[in-house]
Amino acid sequence: MKRSYLGEFEEIVLLTVAVMEGGAYGVAITHEISEQTGRSVRLNQVHAALERLEDKGMLKSEMGEPTAERGGRRKRLFTVTAYGRRTLQEIQEVRVSFWARLLNPFKPATSL
Amino acid sequence: MNPPKLADQLLKFFCSPHHLEEIQGDLQEEFAYQVKRIGERRARWRYWWDVLGFVLSFASKRMSKENSTTHRTNPIMFRNHFKIAWRNLTKDRQFTALNLVGLSTGLACTLLIYLWVKDELRMDKYNEKDEQLFQVMANHFHEDDVNTINHTPGLLADALAAEMPEVEHAVTVVPASWFSSKGIISVGETRLKAGGQFVGKDYFNVFTCPFLQGDKNSIFSDNNTVALSEELAIKLFGTTKDVLGKAVKWDHEEFSGTYRVGGVFANSPANSTEPFDILFNFNVFVVKRPGMESWGNSDPSTFLIVRKGTDLDRFNAKIRNYLQSKDKKQTAQLFTIQYSDKYLHGQFENGKQAGGRITYVKLFSIIAVFILLIACINFMNLSTAKASGRIKEVGIKKVVGALRSSLVFQYLGESLLMAFLSLVVAIFLLILLLPQFNFITGKNIRLEFDGTMLLSIVGITVLTGLIAGSYPALYLSGFNPTAVLKGKLKTSVGELLVRKGLVVFQFTVSILFIVSVLVVYRQIDYIQTKNLGYNRENIIHFEIPLEMDSVKLKSAEGFLAEIKTIPGVVNASSYYHNLTGDHGAISGFQWPGKPRGKDIEFSNLEVGYNFIETLGMELKDGRGFSNNPGSYNEIIFNEAAIKSMGLKDPIGKIVKFWDRERQIVGVVKNFNFESLYETVKPCFFQVYPVMPNIMVKMQGGTEQQTIARIQKVFEAHHQGLVFDYQFLDENYQTLYAAERRIGVLSRYFAGLTILISCLGLFGLAAFTAQRRQKEIGIRKVVGATVGNVALMLSMDFLKLLLIALVIAFPVIGWALNQWLHNFAYHVDLELGVFIIAGLSIIVITLLTVGYQAVKAALMNPVKSLRSE
Repeated sequence: MKRSYLGEFEEIVLLTVAVMEGGAYGVAITHEISEQTGRSVRLNQVHAALERLEDKGMLKSEMGEPTAERGGRRKRLFTVTAYGRRTLQEIQEVRVSFWARLLNPFKPATSL
Repeated sequence: MNPPKLADQLLKFFCSPHHLEEIQGDLQEEFAYQVKRIGERRARWRYWWDVLGFVLSFASKRMSKENSTTHRTNPIMFRNHFKIAWRNLTKDRQFTALNLVGLSTGLACTLLIYLWVKDELRMDKYNEKDEQLFQVMANHFHEDDVNTINHTPGLLADALAAEMPEVEHAVTVVPASWFSSKGIISVGETRLKAGGQFVGKDYFNVFTCPFLQGDKNSIFSDNNTVALSEELAIKLFGTTKDVLGKAVKWDHEEFSGTYRVGGVFANSPANSTEPFDILFNFNVFVVKRPGMESWGNSDPSTFLIVRKGTDLDRFNAKIRNYLQSKDKKQTAQLFTIQYSDKYLHGQFENGKQAGGRITYVKLFSIIAVFILLIACINFMNLSTAKASGRIKEVGIKKVVGALRSSLVFQYLGESLLMAFLSLVVAIFLLILLLPQFNFITGKNIRLEFDGTMLLSIVGITVLTGLIAGSYPALYLSGFNPTAVLKGKLKTSVGELLVRKGLVVFQFTVSILFIVSVLVVYRQIDYIQTKNLGYNRENIIHFEIPLEMDSVKLKSAEGFLAEIKTIPGVVNASSYYHNLTGDHGAISGFQWPGKPRGKDIEFSNLEVGYNFIETLGMELKDGRGFSNNPGSYNEIIFNEAAIKSMGLKDPIGKIVKFWDRERQIVGVVKNFNFESLYETVKPCFFQVYPVMPNIMVKMQGGTEQQTIARIQKVFEAHHQGLVFDYQFLDENYQTLYAAERRIGVLSRYFAGLTILISCLGLFGLAAFTAQRRQKEIGIRKVVGATVGNVALMLSMDFLKLLLIALVIAFPVIGWALNQWLHNFAYHVDLELGVFIIAGLSIIVITLLTVGYQAVKAALMNPVKSLRSE
């Protein structure tokens, strides 16, 4: 299995793009991540991650339509490539297999 | 509601263009969102924060970027700019050499002057309490003149300290320079010359003088304790340790004797104008010169530490008539000036500070700026001229998408590169020239790279690069690419005007320099050959140890008598003080018919027998001293003194001063005993059999043999002493050392300016000839001679030169007139000087331009017309 490894943040960005199904672009991704994970994310970090993922071939992008709230500028819309999807799946499978081998699965604490 | 513009600009500058749109869009969308959420003000901050995030991340990953961009900060473009700059430099070696020589000489001159100015401004600023350290000056009023001197009564310091609440400390000082010569200090066989300074007991509270050994106040414990400088201690004892308590012998006028070392102090700093090697208690001076106890005697200097926050105008008003409150007969008015200010502002007119060396500091700063400007103009002229060769390069660059700003950036970069190359050369030049420069200026400037120095050097260089590169950068980048590539570019009238204007400016400055140098030289020459009212040729003087005991006096008289018998000696005499420098002054004279309330300060010349005869001074009235013990009661005045006293028929009249009565026996014609900056002041002579400075007038032609004979007699009489003589006219020349230095320096700098301008002209002429190659070819084909063509090319420059002459002459005429009026005796500005200057610059220009013109005119027209 030869593929580029993903950092944790890259994985989250890639997943977010997959979740947003065609509506994924810089600001939207940033907002989505900070809402879902509760961590503060900076725009430039997301952009950098997107660029890296595109370089690795897991994302592809095209320019969308200009909108007024962007001052008449177009947005770059990202979609996950087949390679990106496979990567996410592989990561998920590896994790599932490890979770399955866990003898004493963690249970939420009920009392002290 | 828009996001901050400046942040946008910043982003634009750093962001690669193909990402700019989406990033800006995202940022703006985010901004709109945040405005709703947290308000505009905080949203704007957030915007900045986001932009900074982007900018920093671009900066960190720029190097690994694969996509090429047309961006200024891209390292690939940097490399390209550098490569093109280098190729351009090496392509035309002559041009590069001209530029390099011009710029580096200009920079080296500017740096030299910068070092000199910095050194001048530092003079006397070494005292910790510099801000509060003031010197008391005295204005003496004469008939139609005010004489400002830095000598005040010896009683003044203590009185001021006691009575004036504004004065924190006050001290009386007799500096080493007060004496006409140095003293001789000896330990065993070691004999050295040293400068002795006498100081009052508050000295160390006023001046900064750290002690390495011993206690600062030890020298005030008794009159026999002294402190030595570190250098002197090492020379005498080989060490500064264990020297306390040792005995040293001191030979100097009436202060000769044996003293005990009480301390060793750090050497006087290099920026001190009154260095000294040995410190004495002022009481020693008072004991030997009881006159110090009177308010009428002004010999020492008085220094004050004034309390912080004192209103100086009020303080000066308060002490103005202070002397009168002590002694009604005094007429001098006191005022204070900052001590460190005196070096640069040491001249006084009508009792007020009126410039001084600061004039030269300003003058040289202006010269530095001009030299640099001329070098920059050269660079600008040559580069714009050369630009025609690079028009295609600019066109192509613009077609493939270079922005104007990136072209400006490139050309500024090129000129900065040139400037820094020149800096390297300039620093080498500086290191080579510095010893010679120090020799001329009499300074000890060293090239020390400290923070400010480095900053200034780099600053000057960057400024030079920017100024020199600005015009080519703005001009080249403005070409219209279509016109350029079609080959239709015409030189605009504006461009020609600018270039001509710059050449005229260069010519003007060169003419200014040439005329100034000529006039300064004539003035200095005039001063040095002016008839002073006495004959200073073939006169040597030297010092003998003299104490006021009769045995020693007799032996000194014997010595003098013996010298007179030496073949080759015309006459011999002696005097006190220094003929060309400081002397004491006395007021409180009484004379017949003296009006009430009037007082005059007379310079006091204490001389030996035959003084007037030896110097060949002319008598206007009466006779000289009788040169025998009877002449004790005689006095001689100069014309100025008689005039200001208003005495008619002065011979035989009796004058009184101190408790002495003297009969006027003669009046000498006015002679210049001080610098020619000043008019002749009233003075009088008192005569004694012999004084410590011996003066010998010799026959011309055989001085060397005569001096050898005098030396023999000297050594026979004063065993162990070194025969150390000086020629009187040399002393006189040192009086004008500053002017001479200015003269020599301005000559060098003027020469360099002219050289730099010539380099520029040379390049420019070469360029013009090259541009007009075809025209010259055609002219020759239709029958023009070499002379016609050469004349035509030269005329262009001569026209500019004539304009420059018209501008320069009035300006320099006015400025030099101002300078000459500083001198009481000066040459007049003559037309001849201007003619010489004008002709010489015309000749220089013709030689420079003519070479290129003739070279162009000699070209074979077939060659220049054939190639297209």
